Amino acid sequence: MNAHSGEIRPAPQLVAPTGRPVPLGPGKPGRYGHLLGPALLLLYWAVLSATGWLDPRTLPAPWTAISTGADLVREGRLQANLAVSAARAASGLLVGGVAGVLLAFLSGLSLLGGYLIDGIVQLKRGIPILAIIPFMILWFGIGEPMKIAVIAVAAFFPIYIQTHSALRAIDLRYVELAETLGLTRWQFLRRIVIPGALPGFLLGLRFGATAAWLALVVIEQLNASSGIGYMVTLARNYAQTDVMLVGLVVYALLGFGTDNLVRWAERRLLTWRRTLGR
Amino acid sequence: MSVAAVRIRDLKRVFTLKGVLDGVDLDIAPGEFVALLGRSGSGKSTLLRALAGIDHEAEGTGEIALPRKSAVIFQDARLLPWLRVLDNILLGQPGEARLRALQALEEVGLAGRELAWPHELSGGEQQRVALARALVREPALLLADEPFGALDALTRIQMHDLLRRLSERHKPAVLLVTHDIDEALALADRIVMLDGGRISADLQVPGRADRTLIALQRKRLLQMLGVS
Repeated sequence: MNAHSGEIRPAPQLVAPTGRPVPLGPGKPGRYGHLLGPALLLLYWAVLSATGWLDPRTLPAPWTAISTGADLVREGRLQANLAVSAARAASGLLVGGVAGVLLAFLSGLSLLGGYLIDGIVQLKRGIPILAIIPFMILWFGIGEPMKIAVIAVAAFFPIYIQTHSALRAIDLRYVELAETLGLTRWQFLRRIVIPGALPGFLLGLRFGATAAWLALVVIEQLNASSGIGYMVTLARNYAQTDVMLVGLVVYALLGFGTDNLVRWAERRLLTWRRTLGR
Repeated sequence: MSVAAVRIRDLKRVFTLKGVLDGVDLDIAPGEFVALLGRSGSGKSTLLRALAGIDHEAEGTGEIALPRKSAVIFQDARLLPWLRVLDNILLGQPGEARLRALQALEEVGLAGRELAWPHELSGGEQQRVALARALVREPALLLADEPFGALDALTRIQMHDLLRRLSERHKPAVLLVTHDIDEALALADRIVMLDGGRISADLQVPGRADRTLIALQRKRLLQMLGVS
Protein backbone atom coordinates (compact mmCIF):
# COMPACT_ATOMS: atom_id res chain seq x y z
CA MET A 1 0.00 0.00 0.00
CA ASN A 2 1.31 3.41 -0.88
CA ALA A 3 0.75 5.93 1.88
CA HIS A 4 1.95 8.89 -0.20
CA SER A 5 -0.39 8.61 -3.14
CA GLY A 6 -3.14 10.59 -1.37
CA GLU A 7 -6.00 8.72 -2.98
CA ILE A 8 -8.30 6.74 -0.77
CA ARG A 9 -8.98 3.34 -2.14
CA PRO A 10 -11.99 1.36 -1.01
CA ALA A 11 -11.25 -1.61 1.15
CA PRO A 12 -11.20 -4.77 -0.84
CA GLN A 13 -14.41 -6.69 -0.58
CA LEU A 14 -14.13 -9.28 2.16
CA VAL A 15 -15.80 -12.53 1.42
CA ALA A 16 -16.45 -15.56 3.54
CA PRO A 17 -13.76 -18.08 2.69
CA THR A 18 -15.26 -20.63 0.37
CA GLY A 19 -12.59 -23.26 0.76
CA ARG A 20 -13.24 -23.69 4.47
CA PRO A 21 -12.34 -27.20 5.58
CA VAL A 22 -15.33 -29.41 6.20
CA PRO A 23 -14.94 -31.17 9.57
CA LEU A 24 -14.24 -34.78 8.76
CA GLY A 25 -14.04 -36.20 12.28
CA PRO A 26 -17.07 -38.05 13.68
CA GLY A 27 -17.86 -35.15 16.05
CA LYS A 28 -18.33 -35.09 19.80
CA PRO A 29 -19.89 -38.24 21.24
CA GLY A 30 -23.06 -37.92 23.33
CA ARG A 31 -23.24 -39.46 26.76
CA TYR A 32 -25.71 -42.25 26.01
CA GLY A 33 -25.17 -42.40 22.26
CA HIS A 34 -23.97 -45.99 22.29
CA LEU A 35 -27.37 -47.11 23.63
CA LEU A 36 -29.12 -46.10 20.39
CA GLY A 37 -28.37 -49.34 18.49
CA PRO A 38 -29.54 -51.71 21.26
CA ALA A 39 -32.63 -49.55 21.91
CA LEU A 40 -33.67 -49.68 18.25
CA LEU A 41 -33.14 -53.43 18.16
CA LEU A 42 -35.28 -53.84 21.28
CA LEU A 43 -38.00 -51.67 19.74
CA TYR A 44 -37.96 -53.71 16.52
CA TRP A 45 -38.20 -56.94 18.51
CA ALA A 46 -41.07 -55.58 20.66
CA VAL A 47 -43.03 -54.41 17.60
CA LEU A 48 -42.62 -57.76 15.82
CA SER A 49 -43.72 -59.63 18.95
CA ALA A 50 -46.70 -57.36 19.68
CA THR A 51 -48.02 -57.58 16.12
CA GLY A 52 -47.72 -61.34 16.14
CA TRP A 53 -45.18 -61.39 13.29
CA LEU A 54 -42.73 -63.17 15.54
CA ASP A 55 -43.87 -66.62 16.72
CA PRO A 56 -43.23 -66.91 20.50
CA ARG A 57 -41.96 -70.45 19.83
CA THR A 58 -39.17 -68.98 17.68
CA LEU A 59 -38.35 -66.07 19.96
CA PRO A 60 -40.51 -64.98 22.92
CA ALA A 61 -41.41 -61.33 23.39
CA PRO A 62 -39.14 -59.12 25.50
CA TRP A 63 -41.76 -58.82 28.25
CA THR A 64 -42.03 -62.63 28.39
CA ALA A 65 -38.33 -62.74 29.12
CA ILE A 66 -38.81 -60.23 31.91
CA SER A 67 -41.80 -62.02 33.50
CA THR A 68 -40.12 -65.45 33.17
CA GLY A 69 -36.99 -63.95 34.70
CA ALA A 70 -39.08 -62.63 37.59
CA ASP A 71 -40.67 -66.06 38.05
CA LEU A 72 -37.27 -67.75 38.06
CA VAL A 73 -36.04 -65.29 40.67
CA ARG A 74 -39.13 -65.92 42.81
CA GLU A 75 -38.52 -69.66 42.64
CA GLY A 76 -34.87 -69.03 43.52
CA ARG A 77 -33.59 -70.97 40.50
CA LEU A 78 -31.99 -68.03 38.75
CA GLN A 79 -29.97 -66.80 41.75
CA ALA A 80 -28.84 -70.30 42.69
CA ASN A 81 -27.65 -71.11 39.18
CA LEU A 82 -26.13 -67.69 38.71
CA ALA A 83 -24.15 -68.01 41.94
CA VAL A 84 -22.76 -71.37 40.83
CA SER A 85 -21.82 -70.03 37.38
CA ALA A 86 -20.25 -66.86 38.74
CA ALA A 87 -18.19 -68.82 41.26
CA ARG A 88 -16.93 -71.11 38.48
CA ALA A 89 -16.02 -68.24 36.19
CA ALA A 90 -14.35 -66.30 39.00
CA SER A 91 -12.22 -69.21 40.23
CA GLY A 92 -11.20 -70.10 36.67
CA LEU A 93 -10.34 -66.47 35.93
CA LEU A 94 -8.36 -66.21 39.16
CA VAL A 95 -6.32 -69.37 38.51
CA GLY A 96 -5.75 -68.48 34.83
CA GLY A 97 -4.95 -64.87 35.66
CA VAL A 98 -2.41 -65.64 38.37
CA ALA A 99 -0.72 -68.22 36.14
CA GLY A 100 -0.78 -65.83 33.18
CA VAL A 101 0.82 -62.98 35.11
CA LEU A 102 3.45 -65.17 36.79
CA LEU A 103 4.52 -66.85 33.56
CA ALA A 104 4.47 -63.55 31.65
CA PHE A 105 6.87 -62.05 34.21
CA LEU A 106 9.11 -65.11 34.19
CA SER A 107 9.36 -65.19 30.43
CA GLY A 108 9.44 -61.41 29.99
CA LEU A 109 12.13 -60.65 32.55
CA SER A 110 14.59 -63.49 32.15
CA LEU A 111 16.16 -64.76 28.96
CA LEU A 112 15.98 -68.39 30.03
CA GLY A 113 12.34 -67.97 31.08
CA GLY A 114 11.57 -66.53 27.66
CA TYR A 115 13.25 -69.42 25.88
CA LEU A 116 11.44 -71.98 28.03
CA ILE A 117 7.97 -70.52 28.37
CA ASP A 118 7.15 -68.27 25.47
CA GLY A 119 7.71 -70.85 22.72
CA ILE A 120 5.45 -73.37 24.44
CA VAL A 121 2.72 -70.81 25.02
CA GLN A 122 2.79 -69.65 21.40
CA LEU A 123 2.55 -73.26 20.26
CA LYS A 124 -0.34 -74.07 22.58
CA ARG A 125 -2.10 -70.90 21.52
CA GLY A 126 -2.86 -72.45 18.16
CA ILE A 127 -5.02 -75.19 19.73
CA PRO A 128 -8.69 -74.18 20.12
CA ILE A 129 -10.02 -74.38 23.66
CA LEU A 130 -12.80 -76.76 22.59
CA ALA A 131 -10.23 -79.26 21.35
CA ILE A 132 -8.64 -79.67 24.76
CA ILE A 133 -11.88 -80.44 26.60
CA PRO A 134 -11.67 -84.21 25.96
CA PHE A 135 -8.20 -84.26 27.50
CA MET A 136 -9.35 -82.17 30.41
CA ILE A 137 -12.13 -84.67 31.08
CA LEU A 138 -9.59 -87.48 30.87
CA TRP A 139 -7.25 -85.79 33.36
CA PHE A 140 -9.65 -84.07 35.74
CA GLY A 141 -12.82 -86.15 35.45
CA ILE A 142 -16.20 -84.53 34.87
CA GLY A 143 -16.49 -82.64 38.16
CA GLU A 144 -15.76 -79.08 39.20
CA PRO A 145 -11.93 -79.27 38.83
CA MET A 146 -12.30 -79.96 35.11
CA LYS A 147 -14.68 -77.02 34.62
CA ILE A 148 -12.41 -74.62 36.47
CA ALA A 149 -9.37 -75.92 34.60
CA VAL A 150 -10.98 -75.31 31.19
CA ILE A 151 -12.03 -71.79 32.18
CA ALA A 152 -8.55 -71.11 33.61
CA VAL A 153 -6.86 -72.23 30.38
CA ALA A 154 -9.21 -70.05 28.33
CA ALA A 155 -8.54 -67.00 30.51
CA PHE A 156 -4.81 -67.66 30.74
CA PHE A 157 -3.87 -66.94 27.14
CA PRO A 158 -5.06 -63.38 26.63
CA ILE A 159 -3.75 -62.39 30.06
CA TYR A 160 -0.35 -63.97 29.44
CA ILE A 161 -0.02 -62.59 25.92
CA GLN A 162 -1.04 -59.01 26.70
CA THR A 163 1.02 -58.82 29.91
CA HIS A 164 4.04 -60.33 28.19
CA SER A 165 3.92 -57.99 25.22
CA ALA A 166 3.49 -54.97 27.52
CA LEU A 167 6.54 -56.10 29.50
CA ARG A 168 8.55 -56.46 26.34
CA ALA A 169 7.46 -53.01 25.20
CA ILE A 170 8.81 -51.21 28.29
CA ASP A 171 11.08 -48.49 27.02
CA LEU A 172 14.79 -49.31 27.25
CA ARG A 173 15.40 -45.68 28.16
CA TYR A 174 13.63 -46.34 31.47
CA VAL A 175 15.97 -49.26 32.09
CA GLU A 176 18.94 -46.92 31.52
CA LEU A 177 17.36 -44.41 33.87
CA ALA A 178 16.90 -47.07 36.55
CA GLU A 179 20.58 -48.00 36.20
CA THR A 180 21.83 -44.43 36.53
CA LEU A 181 19.55 -43.87 39.54
CA GLY A 182 20.97 -46.99 41.15
CA LEU A 183 17.59 -48.67 41.65
CA THR A 184 17.61 -52.09 43.27
CA ARG A 185 16.04 -54.98 41.36
CA TRP A 186 12.96 -54.77 43.56
CA GLN A 187 12.61 -50.99 43.10
CA PHE A 188 13.01 -51.47 39.35
CA LEU A 189 10.26 -54.09 39.39
CA ARG A 190 7.90 -52.04 41.54
CA ARG A 191 8.44 -48.61 40.01
CA ILE A 192 9.07 -49.39 36.36
CA VAL A 193 8.18 -52.92 35.33
CA ILE A 194 4.84 -53.37 37.09
CA PRO A 195 3.37 -49.94 36.22
CA GLY A 196 4.69 -50.34 32.69
CA ALA A 197 2.99 -53.70 32.25
CA LEU A 198 -0.26 -52.73 33.99
CA PRO A 199 -2.08 -51.38 30.90
CA GLY A 200 -1.30 -54.59 29.02
CA PHE A 201 -2.43 -56.72 31.95
CA LEU A 202 -5.75 -54.88 32.21
CA LEU A 203 -6.37 -55.26 28.49
CA GLY A 204 -5.58 -58.98 28.84
CA LEU A 205 -7.93 -59.17 31.81
CA ARG A 206 -10.77 -57.79 29.70
CA PHE A 207 -10.18 -60.38 27.00
CA GLY A 208 -9.58 -63.03 29.64
CA ALA A 209 -12.89 -62.33 31.40
CA THR A 210 -14.75 -62.61 28.10
CA ALA A 211 -12.94 -65.87 27.36
CA ALA A 212 -13.85 -67.16 30.82
CA TRP A 213 -17.58 -66.55 30.27
CA LEU A 214 -17.34 -68.19 26.87
CA ALA A 215 -15.65 -71.27 28.27
CA LEU A 216 -18.22 -71.35 31.07
CA VAL A 217 -21.12 -71.52 28.59
CA VAL A 218 -19.52 -74.33 26.65
CA ILE A 219 -18.62 -76.35 29.71
CA GLU A 220 -22.00 -75.94 31.43
CA GLN A 221 -23.96 -76.96 28.38
CA LEU A 222 -21.70 -79.93 27.84
CA ASN A 223 -21.85 -81.41 31.28
CA ALA A 224 -23.25 -79.87 34.41
CA SER A 225 -26.01 -80.28 36.96
CA SER A 226 -26.14 -76.65 38.01
CA GLY A 227 -25.38 -73.21 36.60
CA ILE A 228 -26.94 -70.98 33.96
CA GLY A 229 -25.79 -73.24 31.14
CA TYR A 230 -27.43 -76.21 32.80
CA MET A 231 -30.65 -74.20 33.21
CA VAL A 232 -30.64 -73.33 29.51
CA THR A 233 -29.89 -76.91 28.42
CA LEU A 234 -32.67 -78.23 30.63
CA ALA A 235 -35.08 -75.63 29.20
CA ARG A 236 -34.12 -76.69 25.68
CA ASN A 237 -35.12 -80.28 26.49
CA TYR A 238 -38.60 -79.06 27.47
CA ALA A 239 -38.74 -76.47 24.65
CA GLN A 240 -39.04 -73.60 27.17
CA THR A 241 -37.81 -70.89 24.84
CA ASP A 242 -38.57 -68.18 27.42
CA VAL A 243 -36.18 -69.73 29.99
CA MET A 244 -33.54 -70.16 27.27
CA LEU A 245 -33.96 -66.50 26.45
CA VAL A 246 -33.52 -65.49 30.11
CA GLY A 247 -30.25 -67.45 30.09
CA LEU A 248 -29.01 -65.50 27.06
CA VAL A 249 -29.95 -62.18 28.63
CA VAL A 250 -28.13 -63.12 31.84
CA TYR A 251 -25.00 -64.04 29.84
CA ALA A 252 -25.15 -60.75 27.97
CA LEU A 253 -25.51 -58.78 31.20
CA LEU A 254 -22.68 -60.71 32.87
CA GLY A 255 -20.28 -60.13 29.97
CA PHE A 256 -21.24 -56.48 29.73
CA GLY A 257 -20.97 -55.99 33.50
CA THR A 258 -17.57 -57.67 33.74
CA ASP A 259 -16.18 -55.59 30.90
CA ASN A 260 -17.41 -52.41 32.54
CA LEU A 261 -15.92 -53.46 35.86
CA VAL A 262 -12.47 -53.94 34.31
CA ARG A 263 -12.76 -50.64 32.43
CA TRP A 264 -13.66 -48.89 35.66
CA ALA A 265 -10.56 -50.42 37.27
CA GLU A 266 -8.54 -49.21 34.25
CA ARG A 267 -9.73 -45.66 34.74
CA ARG A 268 -8.86 -45.77 38.43
CA LEU A 269 -5.45 -47.36 37.98
CA LEU A 270 -4.29 -45.55 34.86
CA THR A 271 -5.15 -41.97 35.74
CA TRP A 272 -1.71 -40.94 34.53
CA ARG A 273 -2.58 -41.87 30.99
CA ARG A 274 -3.84 -39.31 28.56
CA THR A 275 -5.72 -41.11 25.82
CA LEU A 276 -8.33 -40.25 23.25
CA GLY A 277 -10.75 -42.84 24.59
CA ARG A 278 -11.75 -40.92 27.72
CA MET B 1 44.56 -28.54 40.44
CA SER B 2 43.79 -30.50 43.59
CA VAL B 3 42.92 -34.18 43.67
CA ALA B 4 40.67 -34.99 40.71
CA ALA B 5 36.94 -35.63 40.99
CA VAL B 6 37.06 -37.51 37.73
CA ARG B 7 40.02 -39.38 36.35
CA ILE B 8 40.03 -41.12 33.00
CA ARG B 9 43.05 -42.88 31.55
CA ASP B 10 43.48 -44.31 28.08
CA LEU B 11 39.78 -45.02 27.66
CA LYS B 12 38.86 -46.98 24.56
CA ARG B 13 35.41 -48.00 23.42
CA VAL B 14 34.27 -49.75 20.30
CA PHE B 15 30.64 -50.11 19.29
CA THR B 16 29.35 -52.31 16.57
CA LEU B 17 27.02 -49.57 15.40
CA LYS B 18 28.52 -46.16 16.03
CA GLY B 19 30.79 -44.17 18.29
CA VAL B 20 34.38 -44.96 19.07
CA LEU B 21 36.78 -43.81 21.77
CA ASP B 22 40.43 -44.14 20.91
CA GLY B 23 42.46 -43.45 24.02
CA VAL B 24 40.84 -40.65 25.99
CA ASP B 25 42.62 -39.12 29.00
CA LEU B 26 40.65 -36.56 30.97
CA ASP B 27 40.69 -35.16 34.49
CA ILE B 28 37.92 -33.02 35.93
CA ALA B 29 38.52 -31.16 39.18
CA PRO B 30 35.87 -31.06 41.92
CA GLY B 31 33.38 -28.32 41.10
CA GLU B 32 34.76 -27.81 37.61
CA PHE B 33 32.29 -27.28 34.77
CA VAL B 34 33.58 -28.97 31.62
CA ALA B 35 31.80 -28.83 28.28
CA LEU B 36 32.54 -31.66 25.88
CA LEU B 37 32.25 -30.36 22.34
CA GLY B 38 32.40 -32.29 19.13
CA ARG B 39 30.68 -33.04 15.90
CA SER B 40 28.11 -35.82 15.84
CA GLY B 41 29.93 -39.14 15.74
CA SER B 42 32.99 -37.71 17.49
CA GLY B 43 32.42 -40.01 20.46
CA LYS B 44 31.16 -37.47 22.99
CA SER B 45 28.00 -39.38 23.86
CA THR B 46 30.00 -42.60 23.96
CA LEU B 47 32.29 -41.05 26.56
CA LEU B 48 29.36 -39.87 28.66
CA ARG B 49 27.61 -43.24 28.47
CA ALA B 50 30.84 -44.94 29.51
CA LEU B 51 31.04 -42.66 32.55
CA ALA B 52 27.36 -43.22 33.37
CA GLY B 53 27.94 -46.96 33.20
CA ILE B 54 25.17 -47.58 30.68
CA ASP B 55 27.32 -48.73 27.76
CA HIS B 56 26.78 -52.45 28.25
CA GLU B 57 26.82 -53.00 24.51
CA ALA B 58 30.33 -51.55 24.15
CA GLU B 59 33.64 -53.36 24.18
CA GLY B 60 36.55 -51.49 25.64
CA THR B 61 39.48 -51.06 27.94
CA GLY B 62 40.82 -48.29 30.14
CA GLU B 63 40.39 -46.91 33.58
CA ILE B 64 37.60 -44.78 35.02
CA ALA B 65 37.43 -43.37 38.53
CA LEU B 66 34.32 -41.45 39.55
CA PRO B 67 32.84 -39.99 42.72
CA ARG B 68 30.42 -42.30 44.50
CA LYS B 69 27.52 -39.92 44.02
CA SER B 70 26.84 -38.98 40.44
CA ALA B 71 23.71 -38.10 38.49
CA VAL B 72 22.79 -38.16 34.82
CA ILE B 73 20.57 -35.81 32.83
CA PHE B 74 19.49 -37.06 29.43
CA GLN B 75 18.39 -35.19 26.35
CA ASP B 76 14.81 -36.20 27.09
CA ALA B 77 13.60 -35.53 30.64
CA ARG B 78 12.94 -39.25 31.00
CA LEU B 79 10.27 -38.92 33.66
CA LEU B 80 8.17 -41.98 34.37
CA PRO B 81 4.69 -41.08 33.09
CA TRP B 82 2.96 -43.09 35.84
CA LEU B 83 4.64 -41.25 38.71
CA ARG B 84 3.76 -37.76 39.87
CA VAL B 85 6.51 -35.14 39.78
CA LEU B 86 7.57 -35.61 43.41
CA ASP B 87 7.71 -39.40 43.09
CA ASN B 88 9.80 -39.04 39.95
CA ILE B 89 12.29 -36.91 41.85
CA LEU B 90 12.31 -39.35 44.77
CA LEU B 91 12.72 -42.44 42.58
CA GLY B 92 15.12 -44.76 44.37
CA GLN B 93 15.67 -42.30 47.23
CA PRO B 94 14.78 -43.04 50.86
CA GLY B 95 11.56 -41.53 52.20
CA GLU B 96 13.35 -38.95 54.34
CA ALA B 97 14.61 -37.27 51.14
CA ARG B 98 11.11 -35.85 50.69
CA LEU B 99 11.95 -32.48 52.20
CA ARG B 100 15.06 -32.18 50.04
CA ALA B 101 12.99 -33.12 46.99
CA LEU B 102 10.56 -30.30 47.71
CA GLN B 103 13.51 -27.92 48.11
CA ALA B 104 15.00 -29.10 44.82
CA LEU B 105 11.65 -28.56 43.12
CA GLU B 106 11.58 -25.03 44.49
CA GLU B 107 15.14 -24.42 43.31
CA VAL B 108 14.21 -25.30 39.73
CA GLY B 109 11.22 -22.95 39.97
CA LEU B 110 8.47 -25.55 40.15
CA ALA B 111 7.32 -25.15 43.76
CA GLY B 112 3.77 -26.38 44.17
CA ARG B 113 3.84 -28.69 41.16
CA GLU B 114 4.85 -31.78 43.12
CA LEU B 115 1.55 -33.56 42.48
CA ALA B 116 1.40 -32.84 38.75
CA TRP B 117 1.67 -35.67 36.23
CA PRO B 118 4.62 -35.38 33.82
CA HIS B 119 2.33 -35.00 30.80
CA GLU B 120 0.83 -31.90 32.37
CA LEU B 121 4.19 -30.10 32.17
CA SER B 122 5.82 -28.39 29.22
CA GLY B 123 9.07 -29.72 27.77
CA GLY B 124 11.13 -27.14 29.66
CA GLU B 125 9.32 -27.89 32.94
CA GLN B 126 9.89 -31.61 32.49
CA GLN B 127 13.60 -30.98 32.03
CA ARG B 128 13.54 -28.89 35.22
CA VAL B 129 12.08 -31.87 37.06
CA ALA B 130 14.91 -34.01 35.66
CA LEU B 131 17.31 -31.39 37.02
CA ALA B 132 15.64 -31.57 40.44
CA ARG B 133 15.86 -35.37 40.32
CA ALA B 134 19.61 -35.01 39.79
CA LEU B 135 19.97 -32.33 42.50
CA VAL B 136 18.23 -34.34 45.20
CA ARG B 137 20.96 -36.95 44.91
CA GLU B 138 23.53 -34.29 45.89
CA PRO B 139 25.91 -35.46 43.17
CA ALA B 140 29.63 -34.78 43.21
CA LEU B 141 29.51 -35.33 39.46
CA LEU B 142 26.74 -34.30 37.09
CA LEU B 143 26.73 -35.89 33.64
CA ALA B 144 24.52 -34.13 31.11
CA ASP B 145 24.00 -35.46 27.57
CA GLU B 146 22.78 -32.53 25.44
CA PRO B 147 20.16 -31.79 28.08
CA PHE B 148 18.72 -28.77 26.31
CA GLY B 149 18.90 -30.09 22.76
CA ALA B 150 15.18 -30.73 22.54
CA LEU B 151 14.07 -27.36 23.95
CA ASP B 152 13.10 -24.21 22.11
CA ALA B 153 15.62 -21.34 22.00
CA LEU B 154 14.00 -19.17 24.69
CA THR B 155 13.54 -22.03 27.13
CA ARG B 156 17.13 -23.07 26.49
CA ILE B 157 18.44 -19.66 27.56
CA GLN B 158 16.40 -19.85 30.79
CA MET B 159 17.71 -23.34 31.41
CA HIS B 160 21.30 -22.14 30.89
CA ASP B 161 20.82 -19.53 33.61
CA LEU B 162 19.24 -22.09 35.90
CA LEU B 163 21.97 -24.68 35.40
CA ARG B 164 24.69 -22.07 35.92
CA ARG B 165 23.11 -20.84 39.15
CA LEU B 166 22.56 -24.36 40.46
CA SER B 167 26.07 -25.54 39.62
CA GLU B 168 27.54 -22.44 41.28
CA ARG B 169 25.51 -23.11 44.40
CA HIS B 170 25.98 -26.88 44.68
CA LYS B 171 29.41 -27.09 43.08
CA PRO B 172 29.32 -30.52 41.50
CA ALA B 173 31.86 -31.38 38.84
CA VAL B 174 29.92 -31.16 35.58
CA LEU B 175 30.50 -32.84 32.25
CA LEU B 176 28.12 -31.32 29.72
CA VAL B 177 27.99 -32.94 26.30
CA THR B 178 26.91 -30.48 23.64
CA HIS B 179 27.45 -29.56 20.02
CA ASP B 180 26.48 -25.95 20.69
CA ILE B 181 29.55 -23.72 20.99
CA ASP B 182 27.58 -20.84 22.50
CA GLU B 183 26.12 -23.15 25.13
CA ALA B 184 29.61 -24.38 25.99
CA LEU B 185 30.96 -20.81 26.21
CA ALA B 186 28.00 -19.63 28.27
CA LEU B 187 28.27 -22.37 30.88
CA ALA B 188 31.66 -24.03 31.09
CA ASP B 189 34.94 -23.19 32.82
CA ARG B 190 36.72 -25.38 30.35
CA ILE B 191 35.98 -26.78 26.93
CA VAL B 192 37.23 -30.14 25.77
CA MET B 193 36.96 -30.92 22.10
CA LEU B 194 36.57 -34.50 20.94
CA ASP B 195 37.39 -35.52 17.38
CA GLY B 196 37.48 -39.04 16.01
CA GLY B 197 37.43 -40.54 19.50
CA ARG B 198 40.40 -38.49 20.72
CA ILE B 199 40.68 -35.24 22.60
CA SER B 200 41.77 -32.65 20.03
CA ALA B 201 41.69 -29.53 22.19
CA ASP B 202 41.42 -28.58 25.85
CA LEU B 203 40.86 -24.89 26.56
CA GLN B 204 40.04 -22.72 29.53
CA VAL B 205 37.10 -20.40 28.94
CA PRO B 206 38.10 -16.76 29.51
CA GLY B 207 36.11 -14.72 32.03
CA ARG B 208 32.64 -14.24 30.66
CA ALA B 209 32.87 -10.47 31.20
CA ASP B 210 35.47 -10.17 28.45
CA ARG B 211 33.35 -10.19 25.31
CA THR B 212 36.18 -9.82 22.82
CA LEU B 213 38.06 -12.77 24.27
CA ILE B 214 34.89 -14.86 24.17
CA ALA B 215 34.31 -13.88 20.56
CA LEU B 216 37.87 -14.89 19.71
CA GLN B 217 37.46 -18.19 21.48
CA ARG B 218 34.22 -18.78 19.65
CA LYS B 219 35.92 -18.19 16.31
CA ARG B 220 38.72 -20.59 17.17
CA LEU B 221 36.30 -23.31 18.23
CA LEU B 222 34.30 -22.89 15.03
CA GLN B 223 37.47 -23.28 13.02
CA MET B 224 38.37 -26.43 14.90
CA LEU B 225 34.95 -27.87 14.16
CA GLY B 226 35.55 -27.10 10.50
CA VAL B 227 33.01 -24.26 10.28
CA SER B 228 34.27 -20.80 9.44
